[in-house]
Amino acid sequence: MSGFYDTLAAWAESGALPEVFGYPFFVRGLLAVLLAAPLFGTLSHIVVTRRLAFLSATLGHAAITGLTLGLALGEPLSAPYGGMFGFVALLALGLVWVRRRSALSSDTLIGVFLSLTLGLGVCLLVFSTRRFDVHRIEAVLFGSLLTVTDTDLALLFAVLCLTAVVLARHYNELLFDSLSPQLAGTQGQRSALIDYAFVLLLALATVAALKIVGALLIEALAVVPAAAARNVARTTRGWLLGSVAIALSASIAGLALSAHMPVPPGGAIVLCLAGAFFLTLLRRR
Amino acid sequence: MSGSALIEVRGLDVRRGAEHVFEGFDLELERGAIHVLSGANGAGKSTLLAVLRGALPFAGEVLLHWRGAATIGYVPQDFLAPEAAPLTAAELLALPRQRRPVCFGLSRATRARVDALLEGVGLGGRGNAPLAGLSGGERRRLLLAHACDPAPELLLLDEPAAGLDAAGEALLEARLRDLRGAGTTTLLVSHDPAIAARLGASSTRLGR
Repeated sequence: MSGFYDTLAAWAESGALPEVFGYPFFVRGLLAVLLAAPLFGTLSHIVVTRRLAFLSATLGHAAITGLTLGLALGEPLSAPYGGMFGFVALLALGLVWVRRRSALSSDTLIGVFLSLTLGLGVCLLVFSTRRFDVHRIEAVLFGSLLTVTDTDLALLFAVLCLTAVVLARHYNELLFDSLSPQLAGTQGQRSALIDYAFVLLLALATVAALKIVGALLIEALAVVPAAAARNVARTTRGWLLGSVAIALSASIAGLALSAHMPVPPGGAIVLCLAGAFFLTLLRRR
Repeated sequence: MSGSALIEVRGLDVRRGAEHVFEGFDLELERGAIHVLSGANGAGKSTLLAVLRGALPFAGEVLLHWRGAATIGYVPQDFLAPEAAPLTAAELLALPRQRRPVCFGLSRATRARVDALLEGVGLGGRGNAPLAGLSGGERRRLLLAHACDPAPELLLLDEPAAGLDAAGEALLEARLRDLRGAGTTTLLVSHDPAIAARLGASSTRLGR
């Protein structure tokens, strides 16, 4: 990748690109945003159809607990993926397992799991901050595009490819099961498998994109693009494309905003997404 | 059991909490028959359909003696969340009938098949209507079109006439007669006491 960054830096120096492209950390941040936007733009409209908005928030919070768990087990703070993905995946699968067996409503169960996650996370966080500077953990809580590495980009790219393959093959099944699990089940679709597979994919995407907006704000990427696009879309194609376009434009706008104002990119991206939602709400059909 | 039975239920026991919905319930349904289930609210009509779909745990024996493709067509009482996604009527029918994601459009073959299905339930020309824009009766017709294609070996209908106008009811009954001719076994939940006679169907009244 260094050759790529050198080329961009040379173009920036010659004036062919804005000066900011001369900094590899900015280019990495931009690439991360360009990979995460289509990933979450696509996933988000399935999240909204399956009514998993609250679950997405829980997965983000679970990533904090996973991080602290990973650190407690000796993972490096620069790449704590094992703890994060392990815990987020475990929580997501456990939640679906309980939800499929309990008579309680989904939001109640998610509330229980969220409390458990936060309780454990807070305890472990106190333990972790004895070993690490708390400001370095804040990067996970609120996102830090400046700390994106080539490994992070490779992971995001891999998750994007996996999502594209899964959705290309199973999009109709996912949508059918989301609209009516009863009908889909009668049709021979394996509703449980779809449920587990989708939350795992969402868990993977959550962990991969964590550095962009942070654990506390990742839910915004998973929900708001589709919510905003749903306000104006009249077809599934329009919804999907609108969702990706809103995720992409809000992410780039947020990044640009943070380059010119003293605001963190994660927060700026989320504010732009929220702005897009309210703008589309005004144009709602 | 007689050699021509498709459904054989023996000593069915289903509980809803502490309450028994079924206790030692028996039912045998001949292949190719239309059978009407009636009874008061809470008598267990929809529960029996759920057991046959494999969607509820139960004790006892439920045997389905398949001879064909072992397919079940189902028309539920409620259509869940039509406003959850901006799908059209044609896209809903296409979801289980084509591999290509419906957001990239319907293939020519799927479009022709879906148009024929819509035509068959009196919804010709409504393919591009959003689900949320369909009336309750139109959604019921749509579900009927879905359940009957391809002709299932067992068709389960939970109050399929609810919300249908007179023409819709006539269409439903004509479709059930056609399917009986094609060998489909139908189990129908209905509150209409005359429907069994009109269809020449056997019936069971469930009681509490």
